[in-house]
Amino acid sequence: MQPINLIWLQGQGCTGDTVALISAHDPSLVDVMTGVLPEVEGIRIAFHPTIMAPWGETALEPLEAAKEGKLDPFVLVLEGAVPTESIAQKTGGYFCGIGDKGGKILTLTEVLLDLKDKAAAVVAVGTCAAYGGIAAGKPNPTGAMGLSDFYGKGYKSTLGLPIINVPGCPTPGDSTIKTLAYLVLVARGALPVPELDEFARPKFLYGELAHHICPRAGYLAEGKFSHHYGEPYCMGLLGCKGPIAYCRVPREGFADGYGGCPSTGSPCIACTEPAFPEPPTSPFLQKSPVNPWIREGILDNIGKVKATLHRFKRRTI
Amino acid sequence: MAKMTELNIEPLTRIEGHMGVHAKADLEARKYTNAYCYATMFRGLEDIIKGREPADAIWLSQRACGVCPMPHAMASVLAVDMAYDAPPPPMGIAMRNLAAMAEEVYDGALGCGILEGPDYSEVIMSKANPEILGKANKTDAPNGAKHGYATIGDIMRGLNPISGSIWLQCLNASKVGLGMASNMGAKHPHLNNFVPGGVARTLEVTDLEAYYAGLAKEIAFSKELVLIFDDLLTFLSDNGLAEVGIFPPNLFSWGMYDDPYTYDAKYANMTKWGEKRALPPGIIINGKLITSDLVEMQVGVQETVTHSYYHDTPKAEFATDPLGNPLTKDHPWNEKTKPEAGAEKDWEGKYTWAKTPRWLDWKNRVDGKTHVLQANPISRMWVTALAGKSPESTGTSVKFTLPAGTVAGFNITEELTLEWKIPALNNALERVRARAYYHAYSAYQTYKLVLAAFEMIKKGETKVWNEYKRPRNGIGVGTAEAMRGGVAHWVVMKNGKTSNYQMITPTAWNVSPRDDQGRPGPYEAAIIDSPITESIEGELDGIDVVRTIRSFDPCLGCTVQVFNPEGSMLAGRELDHLHAEEVLEQHEHENEHGQGHCHLHHHHSH
Repeated sequence: MQPINLIWLQGQGCTGDTVALISAHDPSLVDVMTGVLPEVEGIRIAFHPTIMAPWGETALEPLEAAKEGKLDPFVLVLEGAVPTESIAQKTGGYFCGIGDKGGKILTLTEVLLDLKDKAAAVVAVGTCAAYGGIAAGKPNPTGAMGLSDFYGKGYKSTLGLPIINVPGCPTPGDSTIKTLAYLVLVARGALPVPELDEFARPKFLYGELAHHICPRAGYLAEGKFSHHYGEPYCMGLLGCKGPIAYCRVPREGFADGYGGCPSTGSPCIACTEPAFPEPPTSPFLQKSPVNPWIREGILDNIGKVKATLHRFKRRTI
Repeated sequence: MAKMTELNIEPLTRIEGHMGVHAKADLEARKYTNAYCYATMFRGLEDIIKGREPADAIWLSQRACGVCPMPHAMASVLAVDMAYDAPPPPMGIAMRNLAAMAEEVYDGALGCGILEGPDYSEVIMSKANPEILGKANKTDAPNGAKHGYATIGDIMRGLNPISGSIWLQCLNASKVGLGMASNMGAKHPHLNNFVPGGVARTLEVTDLEAYYAGLAKEIAFSKELVLIFDDLLTFLSDNGLAEVGIFPPNLFSWGMYDDPYTYDAKYANMTKWGEKRALPPGIIINGKLITSDLVEMQVGVQETVTHSYYHDTPKAEFATDPLGNPLTKDHPWNEKTKPEAGAEKDWEGKYTWAKTPRWLDWKNRVDGKTHVLQANPISRMWVTALAGKSPESTGTSVKFTLPAGTVAGFNITEELTLEWKIPALNNALERVRARAYYHAYSAYQTYKLVLAAFEMIKKGETKVWNEYKRPRNGIGVGTAEAMRGGVAHWVVMKNGKTSNYQMITPTAWNVSPRDDQGRPGPYEAAIIDSPITESIEGELDGIDVVRTIRSFDPCLGCTVQVFNPEGSMLAGRELDHLHAEEVLEQHEHENEHGQGHCHLHHHHSH
């Protein structure tokens, strides 16, 4: 089977998306790499600064090879945001160096431009790479942005795909690995091209609001709210942004089934959303915006009336 | 006649983040003569935190590091507790500690097995130090009967990336630790439930039980980890690597794990509750503990920018701390450094995005001057041993007993007494050894705290959070320990918003550049004068530089190491492939929770 190369670049990030990968479970990293699933066989990590073999200039060779088309087909993954290097250049410097080539700092943006028209597919892992995230938080000292803004609207990879965003701060390892495995299955013809939402997130991961799949949603329906941290009820009055966040964590846990933000009693901070970390996702302990709650209140009442009326219908099955 | 060569290493792979080293070596004398270390990425996190509600820093500051976010959460929440005057109830403190401890066991396993250990694996040794490897193959491991590796050579094979059984066990232990941290912290990386006044987490006894089950695995793992690394590192130390990466015993630890019944978030009582930490705070100069007073320690912190891409702080805003102790203009409560990108590799001028933390001996315990200090697990263990404040401290060692327990896949079921002794040298090998012992000591402290938490539940002390009223103005400092050393955050709140926020990480101390007096930071100092032990064929690979820097553990996760791109690691993998599969299968069976293991797998593209 034709191998698919993976080039994983790190920009203005924290390596959290890489660490989270350790917790991926179904499939685990080992599963994917050893080809437990025959159709997902043959992923090769050509470049990943935190796991790759060599160091120094030799470590940069795969980037040159990819630029020359020698690693086709390759998937380009970015973790971390992209700075506006022209700001740093005004004072003769740089914001994000990822290597040293011939005695000169090689910046992230140079490499991204080299690979722009060569990548078979491009995946932005984590909210920083997708939308700028933390690095782009006000006042955005380095002019940080997501990869879609750097590559520009209408960008298409050589397979004709837009940049696929897999946001989260960090993205649960399982979501990252399921996306990469999915893309390989697409490349192998085993699955159709994934449907994306308006923020270029795969719907199979980001199709539901955290709020809808929260184990505490039943308490909301009964009007029971936590007023003190530690209480087991709906977290809506203690800062939870679940009604504006598309995220699977309340149902799946964060790592290997453990954790989960509102489900274990902490406020969702909507870290999967393009606005993160700005309002309405923050201040993090501030009550979430009222509009989704009003909408939900109305729907809730309609739902209860419907449910009651349906009780009077004759059972047909 | 000196035969000089220069070495630029960037990316310095297999660490967290972006960093480069420029080293000069004398091939004739076989030693490194100079070194400059530099950080190559800037985001401006402190500026992003300013102007927001102070509590937001608990979430934002963690994003500094995805490998060790917890100590940022801890330092931040302690600083905000203080600024808000929001002391947590005992169970809230205990639950914060449990989340913190889970990160230490995940990170310790990762550091020993995946980051640093492979520098001494068979595949690396066969290229770098083939003679030592030859001898290792013929040397019995003193604890072989207990951990199951008959010779030192067997241990080195166990550390081979991807295929080695120790490597895989360590990755599995990391995964278990991340699960425990996510359990207690809602998620990890980036805990979501530290709030001023306690934790935002519903206390569920079933979750504590799951955490305890994870801990049992970590304890069983830790017994073998320490014995394996003891055998390996003592052998290497006796066989030519003892001189690599020496830094003088100038060390600090902020201490860790606040006592649930003493911590009250008040600066006026910080000396008192600081001393009650399970691991005490302290500063060691020239091998002597000069203070264990958190207030004295934090007042002495200075951050300067002589060789860093920032403008200096013009003047002090606060002449003293709230207790009247003098603050300099470079103390983090005063610090107002401004970033400005500058030219690269300007060794006489500015050359790094890292700032330069130093500690001022303001009470004149030694000489009344500033000192270059090293953060690390070895610093923590050293302070704990000397301070004599914890039951496990003997004055020259830290001695503790891990409980008995039978966990499938691990050999040692009986209890095991371990003793970490202050070493003769603070070198690369001893920093790795201290990390292995710290994993065990963390597991031991965690065990004690889980039992204490059960006791609290029996007594009905189940409250996890105290309500507080947010004041308009306040000031706070929070200190904690990451696996790789001390972290501290300073916050100043005006009109309900953060007007200044400063963070100093362990790697900031260690990777710091030359200071205003031209003294190198710990990484630089440890490389300078380090011998070249590698067997050189063609170009200098810099293994001793890399070993030195990795011994400080500059962050990061799953790393696979190999010598060169065509390297022997893949060959090693093929050879050992069957063995790897067996180990993987074994893990799968052992693990009822389905948390097998994972490993990051390297296939080179050529």
